Amino acid sequence: MRILKLQKKDLFPLLKVISREAELWAPTAKGDKFAYGRVLDFSRIAMDAVRTIIPPKKIMVPSLFNMFNFTEKGYQEDLSHVTDRILFGIHPCDIHGLLILDKLFSQAYLDPYYLEPRKKTLILGLSCLPDAYCFCKSTHTDIIEEGYDLFFTDLESYFLVWIGSSRGDDLIRLAPDFFDDKLTEKDIQTYTKWQEKRDNAFKTTVNFTRMPDLMELNYKAPFWEEVGAACLACGSCSMVCPTCNCYNVVDKLFLGNKPGKRLRHWDSCTLPEYSEVAGGENFREHKSQRLKLWYTHKLQAYVSKYGKPSCVGCGRCLVTCPVQIHVKSVADALEGHPVEAFWKKFAQEVSK
Amino acid sequence: MPKDKLKIGIYELTGCAGDALLIVDCEEELVNIFTAASIEAFLMAKSDNRHGELDVALVEGSVSTEKEKEELLDIRKRARVVVAIGGCACVGGPQAAFLDKKEWEKNLKKVYGNIEFSHSRPLQSKPIDAYIKVDCYLPGCPIGKAQFLSTFARMVNGNPPELFRFPVCVECKWHENDCLLNKDILCLGPLTLAGCGSVCPNFNVPCFGCWGPTEEANRTSEYYLLREKGFDTEVIKNRMANYSGTRITEFFEQFRKEKR
Repeated sequence: MRILKLQKKDLFPLLKVISREAELWAPTAKGDKFAYGRVLDFSRIAMDAVRTIIPPKKIMVPSLFNMFNFTEKGYQEDLSHVTDRILFGIHPCDIHGLLILDKLFSQAYLDPYYLEPRKKTLILGLSCLPDAYCFCKSTHTDIIEEGYDLFFTDLESYFLVWIGSSRGDDLIRLAPDFFDDKLTEKDIQTYTKWQEKRDNAFKTTVNFTRMPDLMELNYKAPFWEEVGAACLACGSCSMVCPTCNCYNVVDKLFLGNKPGKRLRHWDSCTLPEYSEVAGGENFREHKSQRLKLWYTHKLQAYVSKYGKPSCVGCGRCLVTCPVQIHVKSVADALEGHPVEAFWKKFAQEVSK
Repeated sequence: MPKDKLKIGIYELTGCAGDALLIVDCEEELVNIFTAASIEAFLMAKSDNRHGELDVALVEGSVSTEKEKEELLDIRKRARVVVAIGGCACVGGPQAAFLDKKEWEKNLKKVYGNIEFSHSRPLQSKPIDAYIKVDCYLPGCPIGKAQFLSTFARMVNGNPPELFRFPVCVECKWHENDCLLNKDILCLGPLTLAGCGSVCPNFNVPCFGCWGPTEEANRTSEYYLLREKGFDTEVIKNRMANYSGTRITEFFEQFRKEKR
């Protein structure tokens, strides 16, 4: 691993050189929020984007896409979403999110629809400062040790650039003149100060080491009924979660002898039909049961399999759930702390 | 694919005929529609309508007269599969919304006076599943072309329809829209069936609920949430009632019970 210095003014010229190699994707403004998109005009890159509405999983597995076209004679795979990409501006939490998806999509059956675009995507991370909803320090996903090709730490007038892979090194070699490999004592001090500033900037914390036990102990806790009663079953928590990966597959047919399409779309275990089986039986008929499953997966089951939670602390569920059922409020309820969330107020209101 | 073409009938009860019109409006696919199946009856599109056995009956509109009720019972007897198409057939439409029996009788008298109905006795408007077993619901006011065509294509190929049962929010997030409800806008996305492609929120317009309610629509929670955001009770009720037909009646009854 090497660390180089890049002056801010040289960022766009660098992106210009490397984007000849592949499509450049980065966060851009969408209303007062942000979304990853292909960038041709670098001034549109939102360098201050704390989080995008949807995590970068959408680049690897689009929300709705065609897996293959089929006729009575056979099928033809459609990998049109697979292309060479450079993903710039991705923060450590979202890189961790991809590392978790890597595990989930390469278990017994390798998933080419995720793994192919993933292989073809270069990860150019960017440092960030947390807002009030970030809690990646609690999930230990605030720093990144693997899973990037280059990582840019923003130190006001210049970047320190970590080279994390040989492919990242290849990118540097396309424009070596932009980089300076002589770091001074002052650079190190500036970086250390920046790290301290970032560490002290977190407002939201969750004690994840307690969560597996608390999930078990609270399995029959009455608050699950409360979250279930308030839940709108809108599925948004899963859609915006960087590690939610469930999908459904449907065949779309057309009239007039056109080939059919086997479509794949994001799904959520919080939706009623998810646990429904043939004959109409539903293993998790109530929202409280479905939410418990969601949180078991995030806070407990993944920990017992991989040694860490499958939550990366990105804060998306905190800013997205209209009734504030999210990792922070559920963790507070699990710990027996007072919960400030709509779902709690709703429970008190309807019990009046 | 089934050997013989499916025999399909398309019927209209009380409604604006918007769903039948939408089928006629599928211009570039009309030839395919009429060649893929044997369209036995479709009053809006053809004159030689036959009233025999059917594989599938597509029924639009709610039941609002005795005669329509008899027609519907007859369709059910003749058809293997009955598909409710559009908000009126699925949930009753605006004409079935939020009126108890006494109120309805009062309104009928107010509009028509004390007259003897010669043609057919009026009934309080209800969705078709108030009288018959419905095998599939194709929602929308009116139904959407893409969803109708793919449902139709599945049926003529011998496959049951496969429709989204989750709310608009799922498709809305697929389009990476910022949640309008979180911006304190009265959006019915969480209560409304998907399948429209979240077309309104994609253009920053809140969901008005035109595809009707999901099975699990949590009106109580959204009602309290909207109250907390400062919306007036009547405004919320009226918006929720627009496309919910008789489904909203159950909600208001349950709501009254909860309030007691």
